[in-house]
Amino acid sequence: MLILIAEDDELVLRTVEHKLVKEGHEVVLTRNGREAIEKINELDLDLVVTDIMMPFASGIEILSAIKRVGKAIPVIVLSSMGQEEVVVDAFDLGASDFMVKPFSPNELILRIKRIKNK
Amino acid sequence: MHHHIALHELILAIVIVLILVLLLIITVLGYSFYSYRILHNKHSWKEIIEFKIMETIVGNDDRSDSDKGFAEHLREPSFRALFLDVLVDSDRKFSGAAKQSINRLFRDFELEDEAWRKLRHRSGYLVAGGVQELAAMNVEAAIPEIMEKLNDPRTAVYQEAQYALVSFKGYEGLGFLDHFNKPLSDWQQLRLLYSIHDIPEQADLQVKDWIHSKNDSVVIFTLRLIRKFRLMTLYTLVFSLLEHPSINVRVQAVRTLQAIESSETIQQFIQGFDLQPLAVQNEMLKAMKMIKSKESEHFLKELLWNHSPVSIKISAAEVLVVLGEEHYLREISQGGDTYDELRQIIKHALQEKKC
Repeated sequence: MLILIAEDDELVLRTVEHKLVKEGHEVVLTRNGREAIEKINELDLDLVVTDIMMPFASGIEILSAIKRVGKAIPVIVLSSMGQEEVVVDAFDLGASDFMVKPFSPNELILRIKRIKNK
Repeated sequence: MHHHIALHELILAIVIVLILVLLLIITVLGYSFYSYRILHNKHSWKEIIEFKIMETIVGNDDRSDSDKGFAEHLREPSFRALFLDVLVDSDRKFSGAAKQSINRLFRDFELEDEAWRKLRHRSGYLVAGGVQELAAMNVEAAIPEIMEKLNDPRTAVYQEAQYALVSFKGYEGLGFLDHFNKPLSDWQQLRLLYSIHDIPEQADLQVKDWIHSKNDSVVIFTLRLIRKFRLMTLYTLVFSLLEHPSINVRVQAVRTLQAIESSETIQQFIQGFDLQPLAVQNEMLKAMKMIKSKESEHFLKELLWNHSPVSIKISAAEVLVVLGEEHYLREISQGGDTYDELRQIIKHALQEKKC
């Protein structure tokens, strides 16, 4: 799968990248929302893993951008505690799944597998 | 007696001033360079540390060389301090096996002594850091000393102690709520709430005590706890909070009633609606929107036509849309006896649905 990770925390970004590469996925890294939206427009992605709060454009704006271009890309949202209302907005905009930080990278892999097998 | 300044004295004075200025410039430049080096080191050290953590989490098979290099860096006290900070920070980002890997790093590099030293320091900032680190390392031997910090007057210290005790003991760590008389901030409430993963069966008794607390923030936290663990048996007690003197408590009580809703919730909201202030009424309408019960339909239609404030009418119209009453709303918005404001409200509610 070609997976885009949008995350401004370098450690989370790198950890998820290495986990996904180990699982045999191809990974595109972006550190802010604007860059992520550009990649979504340019590439033929199979999945997006995005943080909710990011510089320049939030995870919600990324979901809106996907909806706007009409691409059916599954999105897993990573949120922090206290962002429940934003997560509800994310689901309204078509998010497939969400995980609250602190999160387990292994569980993320399992959820990606579940989406892949759907 | 007059003393005339001789030329050589003047020159000497100027030279001294120039030397002082030069020394000052050298000191400022030296300090700036030192700060730059520290900043630069911190940046590159952070990359090294984050790589180490990432490597440990993902399980790199060939780590012997990088381990040697890392051990070299660890001899530098500022590097150790930064390593400890980054580890504690990372501990909050990951759970499961990744969190266990981070805890292993704490042990492998023997960082516990540093954390103990901080815990016993005078500075509140360092004490809070020590509490955080010992909790992240899961050093249970620190629990008695951390418990003493619950009564520390410094906010950062007692907040970290509360959080640490909940990290160690889960629900049992909330015992401090029995006598806590300071405001429990929203952020702290969320931190505590997310650290509790289960609740014992006999928790009801203690929860009942907290719900009667004179500290409103403790009552609000308890309501959040009831919501999180769906403590249905406390429904009547939560309902009684609709008469609490604090509006914030009442608003949270409505949210909780919606979360542990019974077959009577809608009727109870309808009966008590007029007795509540605007903020609570709005919350009740939000709850009706979530519950989506046809039982509230007649009441909502009445709200549209009576003398309710505009915000209430907007919310009522939005709930009616959710209940599938768009046809009714369109009909009255086109009716001749409908006043202009109501027409606008209905238009707004129907547009919200489209969005």
